[in-house]
Amino acid sequence: MQLVIGNKNYSSWSLRPWIAMKVLGIAFDEVRIPLYQPGSKERILGYSRAGKVPILKDGDTVIWDSLAILEYLAEKHPQLWPSDRAQRAKARSISAEMHSGFAKLREHMSMNARKRYPGKGRTPEVLADIARIDAIWSEAKGPFLFGTFTAADAMYAPVVLRFRTYEVEVRKKSYMDAMLALPAMREWIEAAEREAESIPDQDLYG
Amino acid sequence: MQIVIGNKNYSSWSMRPWVLAKEAGIAFEEVQLKFNKEDGGLTVDGIQRFNVAGKVPVLVIDGEPVWDSLAICETLAERFPDKQLWPADRNARQVARSICAEMHSGFTSMRSSMPMNIARQYPGKGMNDGTRADIDRILAIWTACREKFGKGGAMLFGRFSVADAYFAPVVMRFRAYGVELPPVPRAYSDAVQGLKSVREWMDGARNETEFVPTDEPYATRNR
Repeated sequence: MQLVIGNKNYSSWSLRPWIAMKVLGIAFDEVRIPLYQPGSKERILGYSRAGKVPILKDGDTVIWDSLAILEYLAEKHPQLWPSDRAQRAKARSISAEMHSGFAKLREHMSMNARKRYPGKGRTPEVLADIARIDAIWSEAKGPFLFGTFTAADAMYAPVVLRFRTYEVEVRKKSYMDAMLALPAMREWIEAAEREAESIPDQDLYG
Repeated sequence: MQIVIGNKNYSSWSMRPWVLAKEAGIAFEEVQLKFNKEDGGLTVDGIQRFNVAGKVPVLVIDGEPVWDSLAICETLAERFPDKQLWPADRNARQVARSICAEMHSGFTSMRSSMPMNIARQYPGKGMNDGTRADIDRILAIWTACREKFGKGGAMLFGRFSVADAYFAPVVMRFRAYGVELPPVPRAYSDAVQGLKSVREWMDGARNETEFVPTDEPYATRNR
């Protein structure tokens, strides 16, 4: 199984399936394609006509988009969603909400694992997005959103890194701590710090 | 079981689970809320009763809210396995999930320049480079699915699935803005517009009288 990802420092969408597979102990070959370089687009299109990372290739099956990959993995590894069906529906709701929403947070607090931008990016719309995420996290059953690690945590993992970079305070700090203490999360951050490439357009605040 | 929706004329996200459940013959009670006209449609009147995300659609099942169209479709697929809402074939199912997820988080240029509008038509409006690229990608998806998986019927994966419910609002957009379609996508678009559930939704939309400014960038006058 191959997982095609972008830069670990910037690609929030790539982090989601990557961390889910690491935490569940699903073996895969990582194919990292640094984004916005000559030839990167062509390389990605070689895997999927959608032209975006992440992409999972399992034999002849190609799955693109972070949420579709998580649902695919959950078919074989049902523990990726909560076992209680009402909780599972809720986990899917907040995951889908993350998947299509929080546009202002994404725009003004883009993921940048190795930088520190305390206080930056806090427009009124971003603060509203943060308040909504804070409310979702406040209901965490602990240590993760639904007790044990699920796909919902994978979907919010990039937000944890954003809040770390922009030093956003949340009520449920124990949730951020639990996510940041995952060996897989530490591995991702360390790799992001070692990456040589930088994307000036995404280093929003210097 | 209830499905809470917004204005049928405008709410593309509401159309998906509604069409899915109707077409599959899953019984539900429709609860319609309306976009707030005072703020131009940025909020939904009465949505606070149902969940805290503040958006339509919402599925209320066993008394619990499930929100966001994709989460609702997955939940319905899980609760009604006999309806086979995702393609049974493993490969087809993963492609179906991928294109729905791509639709769910993407095509932002087309969405903003061609908001869904069933009652009114604006041929030629809304086209720009980003929207053209979005449309080309969607046409490529439809063509590839029809050719590779569509043998057993007129839908993307032959028989009706979540993917068709997911792209039904796009069919409405292409219709409203007069987007020209090559033969395969044209036939698919016609088939979607021929679905009983889609016709019923369109009739509902045409009967609505509300005018929501944020969804009407090309209206020449307020009604």
